[in-house]
Parts: sequence; structure tokens; C-alpha cells
Amino acid sequence: MMEEAVATYRDEAGELLAELETSLLELEETPDDNDLINRVFRAMHTIKGSGAMFGFDEIASFTHEVETVFDMVRNGKMTVTKRLLDLTLKSRDHISYLLNASVGEDVDRSAGDEIIAGLRQLLPQTELPQKGSSEVPSINLPEISPDELSNESTWRIRFRPAPNLIMCGTNPISLINELRGLGTAQVVAQFDEIPQLDELVPESCHIYWDIILTTSRGEDAIRDVFIFVEDDCDIKIELIDSSGLIDREEGYKKLGDILVERGDLSPVEMKKVLMLQKRFGELLVEKGIVSPEKVQSALVEQQHVKSVRKERNEAPQQETAASIRVPAEKLDQLINLVGEMVTVQAHLSQVSLAGGDSTFIAISEEVERLTNELRDTALNIRMLPIGSTFSKFKRLVRDLSGELGKEIEMETFGAETELDKTVIEKLNDPLVHIIRNSIDHGIEMPVVRRAAGKPGIGKVYLGAEHSGDSVLITIRDDGAGLDRDAIRAKALERGLLPANSEASDREIYSMIFAPGFSTAAKVTSVSGRGVGMDVVKRGIEGLRGSIGVDSVRGSGTTITLKIPLTLAIIDSLLVKIGKDHFVLPLAAVEECVELTREDIKNSHGRNLANVRGAIVPYIPLRQHFGITEQSPEIEQIVIASIHGTKVGFVVDNVVGEHQTVIKSLGKMYRDVKGVSGATILGDGTVALILDMGSLLQTIELMELSTKGS
Amino acid sequence: MPLNSSCRENGEIIISSGDRLTIENASELARIFNEALDSSKNVAIEFEPAVEVDITGLQLICSACKSAAAKGCNFSYHGLMPPALTEMIIASGAARHAICRHNNDSTCIWFGGTH
Repeated sequence: MMEEAVATYRDEAGELLAELETSLLELEETPDDNDLINRVFRAMHTIKGSGAMFGFDEIASFTHEVETVFDMVRNGKMTVTKRLLDLTLKSRDHISYLLNASVGEDVDRSAGDEIIAGLRQLLPQTELPQKGSSEVPSINLPEISPDELSNESTWRIRFRPAPNLIMCGTNPISLINELRGLGTAQVVAQFDEIPQLDELVPESCHIYWDIILTTSRGEDAIRDVFIFVEDDCDIKIELIDSSGLIDREEGYKKLGDILVERGDLSPVEMKKVLMLQKRFGELLVEKGIVSPEKVQSALVEQQHVKSVRKERNEAPQQETAASIRVPAEKLDQLINLVGEMVTVQAHLSQVSLAGGDSTFIAISEEVERLTNELRDTALNIRMLPIGSTFSKFKRLVRDLSGELGKEIEMETFGAETELDKTVIEKLNDPLVHIIRNSIDHGIEMPVVRRAAGKPGIGKVYLGAEHSGDSVLITIRDDGAGLDRDAIRAKALERGLLPANSEASDREIYSMIFAPGFSTAAKVTSVSGRGVGMDVVKRGIEGLRGSIGVDSVRGSGTTITLKIPLTLAIIDSLLVKIGKDHFVLPLAAVEECVELTREDIKNSHGRNLANVRGAIVPYIPLRQHFGITEQSPEIEQIVIASIHGTKVGFVVDNVVGEHQTVIKSLGKMYRDVKGVSGATILGDGTVALILDMGSLLQTIELMELSTKGS
Repeated sequence: MPLNSSCRENGEIIISSGDRLTIENASELARIFNEALDSSKNVAIEFEPAVEVDITGLQLICSACKSAAAKGCNFSYHGLMPPALTEMIIASGAARHAICRHNNDSTCIWFGGTH
């Protein structure tokens, strides 16, 4: 049970840290935004509070320091500065590090100590309240999440320790701190029973405490704090306010009522004092009926409950169980089962059509409709807005530009665009590489930019938008643009382009994705080793996506990634060669045309087809896969667009559109080029899913090597 | 640092806090405070900056303050309040701003920050 709670804490803290980073980066742009300051404080407070509860003491104590600083910001005692944001972002990273360490594991505290030292330097001098102040100290209640608000209660606790408590080795302050850990507490120590020195037993405890505690933990948790001392101490716990009470007014009991309830004032005395038209508390003290300390304690209670009620009323009314948390593995399992269901349903359709029984066919069609709905719903559950990753990149731009002495801002759009969770995770590394390149090689130093008539601050745009069954992710910078001539020269030097080649701009720009390709004169800590863009290409192709590059010298570069919405089930075209079935992803397919023996004969072995006047090269897949059976009289060319170029794939016949549940191939087949996976058809046979881009590349390389030899 | 007290020319008695205002030497300090308040109208503590303070130290100060008020004496401190005492005041919920009737209806110089 505890393990589950810890895992939940880790998940929630991870989300809070992501939210914290986003808020901090936004705060940098609008440092006076109180909503953002409160959001940062709330995230810190929740991480701290829950951390202490689940045994992450290191996180709790470290976060407490940062929370303290943001409490001062919230209260207007400090302003948001770049230094503060730098340290808070580092704090976020340190909390993340602590979170990933196991409970009880030794952790490196040095980074945390440095951050705390830095934060303390920013703090104004700690001061006690000023002379003459006669008001109750203002109450700064930490903000509480709507979840917590929904079941919290406020308790009045009077803790009167046994005289020998301290001598027995118990520190009452530890007990009070434990209570503080349960929620929001206001503590008032009562000194009226401390005698003068003549009667004082210095080692005895003469102080008692009034504590007003708002917590979602319930009475048992409060009693547990006193579990080892309750037999000797006088402990009174009363419920004075609860979110479950019908009375949701912001106001609270009058001072006199509180004192009467506590037993510090009799009803008769209260009536007498009320006859005099003065402030009630002052009158009680003046008349010597109640000590000032007790009046203050009651005022603290009054103000505390008022604040809690106000906050509760202001909190958005929570929709009951609007969402639930489900582990990602369970979703993966659901998708797998839906995949199996789609396969079985295909089999059912096939059998029903073969049988020709109209009732059976009708049932099969109904199952097909339901399966499709189930598939769409299940896939939709895994969809997440891509914006959750955007804040990471804002942080990357912020940190790297500072490191390189550049001034760069990042603008994002389409954060709400949804993509499969797995796709989003796998997009992270390619995007990091592209953005690092933009910052290091794309955006110029401020001096250079100004000299070129550009604003000193460079811009990197990151956006996402839907395009059919894919998402287009655009990374654009307003930097120097790609140096076409330098790339061409380097490509020629490395033999990537034939000498005297008349390559198009697009072909030349695509050279930046070649392994080890770099035109950078120097290697920096950020980029320039020619490793990154190769990784980008492999990463995107691994997602069955494609990359486009466009650049204008002096104005900037745009890189567009086209990514399929999901990796689990795809729309595809099922084709047949001999007895074997193959699957081609439908997203890239443009059209199908016939290829007769006459056409083949006319192309004189050059594998070129004339499609409405345009020459399209084609790959005879039968030949490539070594299928020896006789080809039909009329074959089909499936024409696909690969990196903007039309290429045909010759098959025997096109079976039709197919919902393909992708199954990965085993490790043994990891290095097989041109095949990205497999699927199980309705009749139980296996069809290979072709990776058309990789297939084309493999065949081109084979042809080059044949020509070379 | 040993506990000691010294008397100034104006009759004020200065008591050194020593390095601990804790249960171990609470009795000894209580005795010294009491003797000082019997001997002079002005008694003050001079804190060691790194003095340790626990809850008995806090109640000893309060008790001495009440005794001083009853005897018509001043009981205060010289210099800065040590960080440990400030922290103990905050941790124990001792900070207050109401007047203290044991202190001639003045706000507390110790726990109200009016020194």
C-alpha cells in the first residue's frame, strides 16, 4: 500500500515539477503576475507537504527553503528577479534529482546546499514584528489544492504537557512541528501559567499551547502525534470547521463565543462585557477577565477559520471524479488488447463473407463497427497535448542562450495539439538536437544580428498542428540560415554528392542529416560534432515520420517534422505479391496505377513508368524480396511520396485499405532494412509492414555499389 | 562559556547567557536571575551569539520578566537577540503582540519584538 502511495507521489510530484517549470518560465516574462507566483508557491507547498508524508524528508526540507522565499514574494516582501528564477529553476532540477533517488538512498546534497545558500542571500533580514503593533499577526495560509480542500477540517487543539514532559526527554516543539506537518497550523504558546522565579521549577513545562490546525487528515492522525504522551498530558481536540458542513459562509464565530467555547470565559461575564460599547477583546483585557494571550489565541482561531473558509469558497467547485489516474502500463495493455480485437474482427469478417450467411454477416458488421469505435476511443485515451513538452524546450533555450551569450526567446504555438503519449516521449531527443542546433549555429550573436539590421534578440519558434492523420511540428529560427555552398562543398568532399552534381536546395540541405556531417569550424559544448542531426533523422524515421528542411540565407531555417498520430494502429494499404501479403502505410500512398508487361518492355529495364506524362521510377518488390512465382499479366504500382519525391512500388495486386495493428519484429530482425514491423491478418497469416523510405534508400545504395563495382 | 554576572557603575547587572539556555543549566540561570533582580533595578542578559536555546530557556525568560515586573525592575537584553532564541520564539508560537499584564501592560520586549 505504501509503495503505491510513494509511486503516486512520484507521479504527482513529476507533474507538479513540470507545471512549476512552465510557471517559472512564464514568470520570467511577467514577473508581476500574482497568479503565477501563487502557482509556483502552491506547487512547492504540495511537493513539500506530500514529500514529508511519504518519507521524502530530503525533498520536504529542501523544498521548504524555496517555498519560504516564494512566500515572501507572495507577500510582496521580495520581487521576482532573474537570479531568483535561476535558483528556483535549479531547485526544480534538484527536487527532480531527489525524487528519482530511492527513499533512504544517500543523495548528493552539495547542489542543494549551494542553491539554499544562494536563496538565503536573496532574503531580506528576518525581523520580528515591530514595536507598538497591537494587531494579530496576519495569517498567510499556504494555498491548498482543490483536492485537499474538498475534505479538510479545522481543529482546535489545546495541548497542556505534563510538567515532567521535558525531563522525560520529549521535546514539545517536535510534537507541534508534527502537527504543522499535517496541514496549516497556527500555534499560540500560552504563558499565563508560568510562575515567577521563586516558584518556577525550571525543568518543568509550564507552557501550554493552543493550536488551530486545518488538515485533510482527520482526528486519528492528530491523536497519533500525541500517541506516546497522551496518558500524561492534557490534550483536547475539537472540530471547529469542516468543508463538509452546510454552513459555507466566509465569516466565523464571534470572539466571545470562541472564548466561551474554550472555557476561557463564562457566558455571564460575556454578557456583562457586551453591555459596554467597546471592542470586546480590549474590554476583556481591561477588566482582567481574560488574559491578553487568550484573547490573542482566540483571535488567531477566528482569523484562521475565516481565511480557510474564504479560500474554500474561492476555490473552483470541483467536479466529482472528473478524472482518474491510470498507470501508463494499463493503457498499453488496453491498446494491445484492442489490437488483438481488431485482428480477430478482421478474421470474423473474412469468415462471415466466405460463409455467405446474411445474419452472420450482419453480426460481423456490427462487431466491426463497435471494434472501430473501441479502437478510436482507446487510442484517444493515450493522446496528450504536446504542450507538456514545450516548457522543457523553453528551459533549454533559456539556459543555452545564457551559456552562449546570446539573447534568444522561444515562441510556441499549437501546444494543445494532441499526439500519442509514446510519440511525444520519443520526440524529445530529436527536438532537443534541432533546437540546440538552432541556438548554436542558427541564431547569431547579438552584435552580429544588429550589424545585419536584425533585432538583437533572436527568436526560435516551435509549433505543432494537425495535418490529416499526422502532426506537423515546425521548428523555425530567424538566424543566419544554412550555408548552401558550404554544405555542398562538404558533401562533395565527403563523396555524399557526385562531382558536378546539380542537386536541388532540398537535396543539399538534406545532407545535414548524414552521419558525422558538420560544417562547424569549431566544436562547442552544445553542438558542432555532426552527431545530432543524424540522431534526429533516425529518431524521426523510427516514428515513421519524415523531415523537411527549408532555409533562406540570412533569414533563418525551418525544419518540419511530419509525425503519425499514433504508433499502435495505422491505416494502411494491404497488397499481395505471390502468396505473400505486405502492408504499406497509407499516409504516404498517393495513388495506384496499372503496370502491364508492355509497359515493362517499353521501359527497357530502367524501371520507369509514365504516369500522365510524368516519369516515375519504380521498385519491383517481387524482385527485391526474391519471390519466384510467376507475376500476373497486369501488375499494380503503388505510388508513394517519399521526402517529396514520387516513387512506385510494384506489387501483384492491391487488396485494399487495412487497419494494421503494428507488432514489432524480434531483436533478430532489428537490422533488416526496409521493414518496420509486422501485422497479423484476419486469416492468421503474418504480413510485413514496409518502411518505404528505408527501402528506397537501401535499393539506391545497392545500385550505387553495383555501379561502383 | 561559564555563566557569570557583572555589575556596572550605574548599578545595572549584566548576566552572560553562557553558551546554553537549556534544561541543563536552567536551574542555575534561574538562581542567578533571581539574585540579580533582588540586587538591582536593572538587569540585562548579554547573549552569546551562538547560544543554544530550548523551551525551558524561553519559559525562564518569561518567568524572570514576570518577576522583574512584580519587583518593579527592568529585565531586558543587550545587543542583538541570538538567532536560536528568535527561532525558538517562532517555532513555539511564542511571538505575540498583545500587551502583557505581567509587564505593566506593555507589549513584550522579548516575544513581541519591541526591544
